[in-house]
Amino acid sequence: MGNIYLGVDIGSVSINIVAIDEENRILFKLYTRNSGQPVELVKDGIQQLRIKLNNKIKIDGVGVTGSGRQLVGYILGADIVKNEITAHAMATTYFYPETGTIFEIGGQDSKLIIVKDGIATDFAMNTVCAAGTGSFLDHQAERLGIPIEEFGDLALQAKRDVRIAGRCTVFAESDMISKQQYGFTKSEIIKGLCRALVRNYMNNLVRNRNLQGKYIFQGGVAANLGIKAAFAEEVGEKIIIPEHYNVMGAIGIAQLAKAEIKKTGKNTSFKGFNITKDSFETTSFNCEGCANSCEVIKVQANGQTIAMTGDRCGKWSDQINHKKREQQETGS
Amino acid sequence: MGKLKLGIPRALLYYFYYPFWEKLFSELDIELIVSNYTSREQLDKGIKYSISEICVPIKVYIGHVLDLINQGVDYVYIPRIISIKKNIFLCPKFLGLPDMIKNSIPEIENKILTHQITAKDDSLAGFKNYLGMADKLNISKWKLFWALQKANSHWQEHRKTQLQVNIDKKVLTIALIGYVYNIYDRFINMDLLRHLREMGINIVTFEMVDSQIIEQEVKLFPKPMFWEFTNKLLGAGYHFLKSPDIDGIIYVSAFGCGPDSILGSFLEIDANQANKPFMTLRIDEQTGESHLLTRIEAFVDLLKLKKS
Repeated sequence: MGNIYLGVDIGSVSINIVAIDEENRILFKLYTRNSGQPVELVKDGIQQLRIKLNNKIKIDGVGVTGSGRQLVGYILGADIVKNEITAHAMATTYFYPETGTIFEIGGQDSKLIIVKDGIATDFAMNTVCAAGTGSFLDHQAERLGIPIEEFGDLALQAKRDVRIAGRCTVFAESDMISKQQYGFTKSEIIKGLCRALVRNYMNNLVRNRNLQGKYIFQGGVAANLGIKAAFAEEVGEKIIIPEHYNVMGAIGIAQLAKAEIKKTGKNTSFKGFNITKDSFETTSFNCEGCANSCEVIKVQANGQTIAMTGDRCGKWSDQINHKKREQQETGS
Repeated sequence: MGKLKLGIPRALLYYFYYPFWEKLFSELDIELIVSNYTSREQLDKGIKYSISEICVPIKVYIGHVLDLINQGVDYVYIPRIISIKKNIFLCPKFLGLPDMIKNSIPEIENKILTHQITAKDDSLAGFKNYLGMADKLNISKWKLFWALQKANSHWQEHRKTQLQVNIDKKVLTIALIGYVYNIYDRFINMDLLRHLREMGINIVTFEMVDSQIIEQEVKLFPKPMFWEFTNKLLGAGYHFLKSPDIDGIIYVSAFGCGPDSILGSFLEIDANQANKPFMTLRIDEQTGESHLLTRIEAFVDLLKLKKS
């Protein structure tokens, strides 16, 4: 069997794992909801990968991305730890070299990536507000008593248009309630919400940018046909949803891991499948070294400290990095 | 009687004028006490004492004033800097700074050392601005006059050294556009400068641009901004937009800043036209670093791709 590269995306709402081969074919793909135990979910996912590929594999490179990338990067022994914007751009431009615009909406962030000639040239991320993200939809679906999976399809059944305020979840909610009281149906309200979300996205992220096709829509929210339709209406063109829309970040980081290994010519620092048997413990304490009282997070594997993070001054994290460097230098 | 202890808050224009103040007060035999670096504890106190709508740099300032009171200084130096160029003013929060502090921190009582500054050329040294101070500090006007001269030449020298910048074209150069108190306060911007330096980035700021260049750029506008430092950033920003040595611009702005809402829009629109990568970082009371890191890392990746 040829070389295999692992990509892991630790998002706020989902944790995604993919394995790709030398030709970027997807050998394994897993999308799970992040229940707040990322380490356990990653271990579980890696176990599934091993079973799927009949134990007969050796991992040649590992990349980790997403907002929880640091911690999981330590645990897996990642070859590359990179932000999700770069990872998403990498995967999308590989599958769609003519991409002009990437809409990516995840759990707590929404992103816009502008691509020219296959290279990302500009991006934007939501700033202080979560109104245009998956969490907003989750919350509203719950309020309406509709499973999030059916949410988007319902929007397509709407017969009339109703405008819902999209600036802020609190205003959107009070607007929804009053429109329901006027007699609009649930599907109409949902369509209104989808359009509000897209309007918000356009106002906050796109702003004065000149968008060009092709338009690619990915991230967990791309499963929502209502949002897709609202985007299509907004830009006046077809919106493409990639086959692997919900794991594009993981694919991108796997590709980046492959590139990193090729570039450095090093062997992977992946800790191996045995990590599924290791026990990891994350604790935190308040450092009282100065008035910042940083919350320092300590990660231990089988009782040994492998990472410390969260300190602003480097008092704790540097110790660990220093030890690692020493080990590398002495070759132990 | 021992030396008078004068506190200077390590906030707002401390990051522009401290060399001047340091020289001035040491010439006057006054012991200067600069407040501690901004910290979680200090910011929390500042927030507690501030009115809630005010921008975070002012909340930070209030935290620093409290820190100085705590250290037992005789006075806290809070000048009312109105204008350092004809017909251009500072943001209204600077104009009302001593009053705002008096209102926010009742404990300060009469420990504020304040006076009004109106100048024409960035320099704070105009003797007329300090007339009442000689009496209050019980020093002779002559001594004050000479101290101001010395402080001024010291500060002018310091400004000249800031202008000597060598740009290494082999590495990425990013222009940081933002007020000094947002760029240099390591706590409030989550150590942005260190993160950029660790990525091997060359950094330039408005202080490194000759003030004549800044003024020429501002003159190209039908009318200048109302606020002094906003104008400086505007002029420097447009200079950077045209400069081929600058690979990208990061604009650092405090949430809720009025002047920035105008400045930011101008820069964003024209950066787009000039095809210069541009990113806004908004800073507020939050302390989670990961969002900041994601943004600057992605921005740097983008610049690297563009340069290669």
